[in-house]
Amino acid sequence: MTETALTSAATVAGGTGEAMIVLEDVSKWFADFQALKDVDLTVGKQEVVVVCGPSGSGKSTLIRCINRLEKHDKGRILVDGIELSDDIRNIGEIRREVGMVFQSFNLFPHLTVLENITLAPRQVRHKAKAEANTKAMEVLERVQIPEQATKYPGQLSGGQQQRVAIARALAMEPKIMLFDEPTSALDPEMIKEVLDVMEELAESGMTMIVVTHEMGFARHVADRMVFMADAEIVEAGTPDHFFQNPEEERTKQFLEQIL
Amino acid sequence: MTFTGPRPKEPYQIPPGEEVEGPPVTARDPRAWAKENLFSSVLNTILTVVFGFVLAFLTYRFLRFVFVDAEWEIIQRNITNLMVFHFPREELWRVWAALFVLAASAGFGVGAAGTRRAVEIEEGRGVAPGRGMLLRRVAPLVLLVGVLLVAAGSLTATLLVLGVAATAIAFRLLGRRVPARYFRFVALGVLVGIVASYLVITAFGGVPRDDWGGLLLTAFLAVGGIVISFPIGVGLALGRRSSFPVIRLVCTLYIELIRGVPLITILFMSAFALGFFLPPGTERPSLVTRALVALVAFTAAYVAEVVRGGLQSVPRGQIEAAQALGLSPLKTTRLIVLPQALRAVIPALVGQFISLFKDTSLVFIVGLTELLAVAQSITKQPDFLAQGLFVETLLFVAFVYWAGSYWMSRESQRLEQRLGVGTR
Ligand SMILES: Nc1ncnc2c1ncn2[C@@H]1O[C@H](COP(=O)(O)OP(=O)(O)OP(=O)(O)O)[C@@H](O)[C@H]1O
Ligand SMILES: [Mg+2]
Repeated sequence: MTETALTSAATVAGGTGEAMIVLEDVSKWFADFQALKDVDLTVGKQEVVVVCGPSGSGKSTLIRCINRLEKHDKGRILVDGIELSDDIRNIGEIRREVGMVFQSFNLFPHLTVLENITLAPRQVRHKAKAEANTKAMEVLERVQIPEQATKYPGQLSGGQQQRVAIARALAMEPKIMLFDEPTSALDPEMIKEVLDVMEELAESGMTMIVVTHEMGFARHVADRMVFMADAEIVEAGTPDHFFQNPEEERTKQFLEQIL
Repeated sequence: MTFTGPRPKEPYQIPPGEEVEGPPVTARDPRAWAKENLFSSVLNTILTVVFGFVLAFLTYRFLRFVFVDAEWEIIQRNITNLMVFHFPREELWRVWAALFVLAASAGFGVGAAGTRRAVEIEEGRGVAPGRGMLLRRVAPLVLLVGVLLVAAGSLTATLLVLGVAATAIAFRLLGRRVPARYFRFVALGVLVGIVASYLVITAFGGVPRDDWGGLLLTAFLAVGGIVISFPIGVGLALGRRSSFPVIRLVCTLYIELIRGVPLITILFMSAFALGFFLPPGTERPSLVTRALVALVAFTAAYVAEVVRGGLQSVPRGQIEAAQALGLSPLKTTRLIVLPQALRAVIPALVGQFISLFKDTSLVFIVGLTELLAVAQSITKQPDFLAQGLFVETLLFVAFVYWAGSYWMSRESQRLEQRLGVGTR
């Protein structure tokens, strides 16, 4: 494995070394505005990649393309060997394998915690109710709030809500988890409980892409850092290298600002 | 409410060992209250005195009219006409039977809902109803029935009403025994009950609805209109947001066309011109059916607009979360978007239904004799002709409409409160 800088984000630096997500030359436009410019990125099986960069640099757009919440206009995206195309079956298959956690949680407010978690396993994977409930309690144990199962999301704290959101994604037994600034909407005292859950998940061998500004977490958990600016991947590297000897000027500036 | 911004903080926990002081107990002395609220300043005092006087005067005149001057004989002698008009008297038992069926299913539903609610409260979600909540809920209806019974002054009718009430109570007790997990079937059962009550009147040599009149017809048009226009309105609202341009166009056209035309026009068109829209050779539907079609067509367009507002209020993130979980567009709409959208617009939706209930009075212009039309026609009976009894009959009709509307409005508030629990 590389100890020096990684020249391109297309080189895997952690996990098993097999490719799980491959982006080749991906570009994306919103009307005339280019939000992604020829992005190449490969994420290995069980690798944890942390994406950072200034606001508006295209981080969210990047990970939202991976489960087709946004449609890329150019290039190829492969998830676990399946290519994302207009084929609805492919999209469905990929979404079943990719869990996503949002900044604003997006729990379903009209459903209880348990119903939030069992919804997709029952409706998408067609699991029996009892089986789905058992699984739900299992993932709730994992995020350490089994006692909240019958409550509504509105009755929980932010940290608890985000952990439910993680549990909801895990209940689908995804191979990949995408996190889009999962702690940005949280009060400081709740950030740790969510990061702890994510760390445990990373240790269990989940393939993860995490957009976050929590640099402590990144240093500790990431296999690889990816820095984005102006719709491009500017630099990628192992955390040690990335934080100590960033090569690009833009990376240095960014790190100075947030560290 | 759903939120998209930062989350609320963890509920404040009282640190252990610390005593909490409640808000200072305010004295409930009526004199102090009056002084504080009614006579706090010179202006306030003047306002209180002036409006108090006006209010007292109007109340006095109103009560005096109702209890002293008014001649209620016209209502008393025509109470059956007002209720059902030309409905064959030898078949009246069917209406009573229908009421019994309705009472049974409503009681059963309320009972089962109570059990489900108890489970929810036990699990730490759901709020307990206030004491005597059910009685307060149905108060407007109880008042209505009371007035009707006094007007009827008939022992048989009173006994039958008591029987209906007893049936409702008995079935409520029965409904309470239904485990919460079967609530879905109970809801279905209630729907079956409503349909059954209709069939009790019409089926097996019963009375076709074209022979209905009075409050019975009004209630039929209102309930039928609500039950049919609601799903159509939801469909139109969804259609207006469809990704198929043709569906979008058709729904939008329909909604905008209907909303640009007065209900009376639609009623006339439905009564006299519906034949043009039907395939040639089909039998012309009855007048009541045509009126119902007009009411449904009209209300559905308004329901669609109300629901569209609700659909827009569901945050984009909800749909994205459902998509990310792999839910199909259909399931996303059915399980995530619609439930939230409908909750958000309950007050407006019920407002629309209250409008429909009152608008049923317009069907008299196409020759149907619903409640208002009966009230008009009885003033022309030989016994009451030219006695100027319009005020009495109109007051009576107004009271019936008010009781029904007020009841619906209160049910809507309650529903809102109940469904609001999870979304705070
Ligand atoms: N639906 C959209 N329509 C138009 N422009 C969009 C849309 N979504 C994103 N953009 C634009 O694309 C650019 C990249 O957005 P993106 O959300 O990916 O940034 P980000 O790196 O996640 O920023 P942040 O840190 O603020 O979340 C931004 O300039 C944004 O304004
Ligand atoms: Mg973002």
